[in-house]
Amino acid sequence: MPDMSPSPDVMIRLEGVAKRYPGQPADAMAPLSMDIRQGELVVLVGPSGCGKTTTLRMINRLVEPSAGRVWIAGRDVTHADPDQLRRTIGYVIQQIGLLPHMTVAQNVELVPRLLGWDRARIAGRVDELLDLVGLDPAAFRNRYPKELSGGQQQRVGVARALAADPPVMLMDEPFGAIDPITRERLQDEFLKLQDQIRKTIVFVTHDIGEALKLGDRIGIFGEGSRLAQFATPLEILTNPADDYVRAFVGAGAGIRRLSLLRIADVHGGMTGDVADQEPVRVPGDTTVYSALEQMLQKGTDRVVIDSNGDLAERSLSLRELLLAAAEGARR
Amino acid sequence: MSFYEYVTRNADRIGFLTAQHVEVVLLSVVIAAVFGVGLGIGTERAPRLRRALLTITGTLLTIPSFALFGLLIPVLGLGLAPTVVALTGYAVFPILRNTVTGLETVDPAVVDAARGMGLGPGQLLRLVRLPLAWPVILNGIRVATIMVVAIAAIGAAVSGPGLGELIFRGLSRLGGANALNEALSGVVGVALVALALDLLFVLIGWLTTPRGLHA
Repeated sequence: MPDMSPSPDVMIRLEGVAKRYPGQPADAMAPLSMDIRQGELVVLVGPSGCGKTTTLRMINRLVEPSAGRVWIAGRDVTHADPDQLRRTIGYVIQQIGLLPHMTVAQNVELVPRLLGWDRARIAGRVDELLDLVGLDPAAFRNRYPKELSGGQQQRVGVARALAADPPVMLMDEPFGAIDPITRERLQDEFLKLQDQIRKTIVFVTHDIGEALKLGDRIGIFGEGSRLAQFATPLEILTNPADDYVRAFVGAGAGIRRLSLLRIADVHGGMTGDVADQEPVRVPGDTTVYSALEQMLQKGTDRVVIDSNGDLAERSLSLRELLLAAAEGARR
Repeated sequence: MSFYEYVTRNADRIGFLTAQHVEVVLLSVVIAAVFGVGLGIGTERAPRLRRALLTITGTLLTIPSFALFGLLIPVLGLGLAPTVVALTGYAVFPILRNTVTGLETVDPAVVDAARGMGLGPGQLLRLVRLPLAWPVILNGIRVATIMVVAIAAIGAAVSGPGLGELIFRGLSRLGGANALNEALSGVVGVALVALALDLLFVLIGWLTTPRGLHA
């Protein structure tokens, strides 16, 4: 294979990475290739034992690949010093793993200290990060992990991973052990945070709902660490690659899809005069799900999509909207 | 003469022997702690050696102390040397055992997170694993100390220092004037030394355990 370094917009490239443990006849993790673009949030999802966590841990070499190569930011890091490498990659795990004998501030500043930052810069950074994850620095800086709730601990875990401003973050079921209500909130905040910081994130979960909600692209793993499909959530719901993916995505895929589909991407409808009834009026980037929700609330069967640039205003009936939205899905 | 009278009249001698007793115990425990903690850390990558050391030091504990002191006479003679060697030998096992347990029972998630942040093996030990194992290690040192306080009294059999002298002399002339008082003052002294050192360890534990680990 020729030595081809990835194009600049690829932040992480896995090139045939595989894991076989010594003395085992077969690969624990079959060769896998994957390009992850800069600023992309990729979710790896699959049943337990499918190799998603192993894949994640091969990126920061907590698991050493037995074959293949790992590129980060255009550099082949397969044989780089693992400790140096890990200081440039944020790492968040389900059990959080805050150091219980250190305060919140000491936990967050650990990596910058290892990197030899000066005191003033570190102190400023700690406060900035606690603010970023929604914890008041004055109140939390000097607390110990056991004095925090699970949700607060995971916020500190995220702040700690972001401390040295790494371009790449690895997150292994970070919200898995948190109660459903807090999890929902942390997911929403996490999406907002990612909008601000635009890190390249690899996120592991076994929850397809979480994957569809968070991922820019989703890698669905099947039995024997096979990558069954690697695509956007909408693409996965619209065109599942095979029966395995279809089954994994499960019931409700049609409805879920509507919350990912922009109404402007739905065809049909008439331009010009709107009929007798008072319609719901929405901008083009509204999801079909949200448009249907508004039509339900208003008790109307017609939606008008605002004009945008050279696209004229369009009007669709409920029936037209459903048929057009299903079009892609039936392909 | 009442016991109280005996103690007040002989306060100087009893005080001197008590101080000697404490010294020989602390000296032995400090040496044992260096060996125990050092071997516990040093054998992390050599599990077989570690098991062997635990077996050897554990077996050492089953040798009756009176016999061990006697066996050391031909090698080390009488006095301080055989006492310290024997006491150190007894004290290593609890310290080594707890060092191993302490290091092994550090939460794997904490170690995983710390490795993932880029801590090398040395930093991991110094910044994470030893501080977290410390309460368990310290408890091993405490158990070793209390154990050795009692065994040190037997050291008088080889003319070792400490309160054992009162016990042995008192018992050897039982029936004589104040013999019982003398032996009793030694026994009570040993118990009080054990109690005082135990309290000392509670204090050390409280002072040296990181605040985040306090219950």
